[in-house]
Amino acid sequence: MTREERFEAEALPHLRALYGTAYRMTRNAHDAEDLVQETFLRAFRSFDRYQPGTNIRAWLFTILHRARTDSFRRHARSPQTVELTGDGPAVPPAQEALAAAGEDIVRAMEALPEVFRTAVVLRDLEDFSYDEIARILEVPIGTVMSRIHRGRALIRVALARRPA
Amino acid sequence: MSTPAPCDGRRVTAYVDGALRPEARLEVEAHLAHCPLCRDQEAFERGLRERLHGLAAPDVPLGLEDRVRRRLRRRPAPAFVRWLPVAAVLALAVLWGRGAAPFVAWELTRDHFHCFGQERLPAQVWTSDAGEIAAWYREHGTELPLVPSSAGGLELVGGRFCPLLDRRVAHLYYEGDKRRLSLYVVPGPARFARAFQIRVRGENVRLMRTGGITVALISEDLQTVDAFNRALSVSVARAAAR
Repeated sequence: MTREERFEAEALPHLRALYGTAYRMTRNAHDAEDLVQETFLRAFRSFDRYQPGTNIRAWLFTILHRARTDSFRRHARSPQTVELTGDGPAVPPAQEALAAAGEDIVRAMEALPEVFRTAVVLRDLEDFSYDEIARILEVPIGTVMSRIHRGRALIRVALARRPA
Repeated sequence: MSTPAPCDGRRVTAYVDGALRPEARLEVEAHLAHCPLCRDQEAFERGLRERLHGLAAPDVPLGLEDRVRRRLRRRPAPAFVRWLPVAAVLALAVLWGRGAAPFVAWELTRDHFHCFGQERLPAQVWTSDAGEIAAWYREHGTELPLVPSSAGGLELVGGRFCPLLDRRVAHLYYEGDKRRLSLYVVPGPARFARAFQIRVRGENVRLMRTGGITVALISEDLQTVDAFNRALSVSVARAAAR
C-alpha cells in the first residue's frame, strides 16, 4: 500500500464529518469546500507525522481548525470573540425553548460567534470529549467548558427571541 | 448541615457532558437536587444536545471526494521535468551559438512565419530600393551583401532587425504575385559547406554565402529561392569584376 493509498483509506472516510463542521464554521458551501480541500492537503503533507492507530479523526479536526485560523489570519480578521458578562436577558423555560422548530435551532446556532459555535459543533454534533476539543482548538479545558456553556446559553437566548 | 454550593452554570454544562471527576459530579448532583434553576439549565442542555444531534448534516457537494483525491494526486513534477524548459533553452542556445545549420534554418523559419503571419508586416524600414535599405542597415551597424531590389517577380518591401536568441538578424521582406520571401543576413557562425537546403514546415530554406556574408532565403516557392540565389550570386560576381 502506498503512502497515498494509506492516507486515502484512513482519512477520506472522515470527509463528511469534516465538511459538516467546515460548513457550520464558514456558513457557506464554497468556503466549506475550500477549507476541506486545504485540510486534506495539509494532512497529506504531514501524514508522516501522524502515528498510526491514534485518533485520526481528532488529528484531522485539529488541522481543519488550524486551516480555518490561518485563513482568518490571511484576511487579517480574527474569529469574532465576545466576552459575555452577567446573566443576560431572561431565558424561557427549557421545555419552551426546546419546542422550537429545527430551522430555528439551526438559525440560533449559526448566529453564534464562531468561537462558541465551533465548540458547540465539536461537542454536540461531533461528540468529541472536552479533552479532544481542547487539543483540537489548542486551548485549555476550562476554556472549552466556558465556550460550550456560553454557546448553549446564547442559543437559548436566541430561541427566546425568535418571532412567535 | 453544610451550606448549599452556589450556582455554577459552567459546572452544570460539564456535568451534562460527563466531563467532571466523580467528586465534582457528586457536588453538582447535590446542588441540582435543590436548585430548580440549574435543573432547568441541565434539562435545556440535554434537550439541546438531542435536537442538535437530530439535525440533518449539510449535504456534501457532489464530487467533492473526487476533487480531493485529484488534488492529492497532483504531485509536483519530478526535478528533471521541472528543469526541462531550462535545459531546452540552454540546448537551443548552444545549437544556435555553434551555428548548427538545421537549427539556424528552423529558428529563422519560425521568425519568417511570425512576420508574414501578421496582418501588417512589422517592418522598421519601408522601401523598394535596395540601395536605400542597405544605407539604413549600414546606419544601424549591419553591412548587407548586394541584395536585389527585385527577383523572380518579387519586389523588396522593407525590413527590420529581429532578435534571435543573442543575435540581431537583418530581415528583408520581398513580396509579389501572392508569393513572399524572407532574406536574412545571419551574423556569427553558421556551419555548413557551400550551401545548405532544407524544408521546414513547407518552406524552402536555403543557407548560402555571398561576398563572405551568410544569407538565408526562405520561401514556400523553390523557384523564387533559386531566383534570389542567382540574383545574389550575379550581383556579387559583378561587384568583384568591377
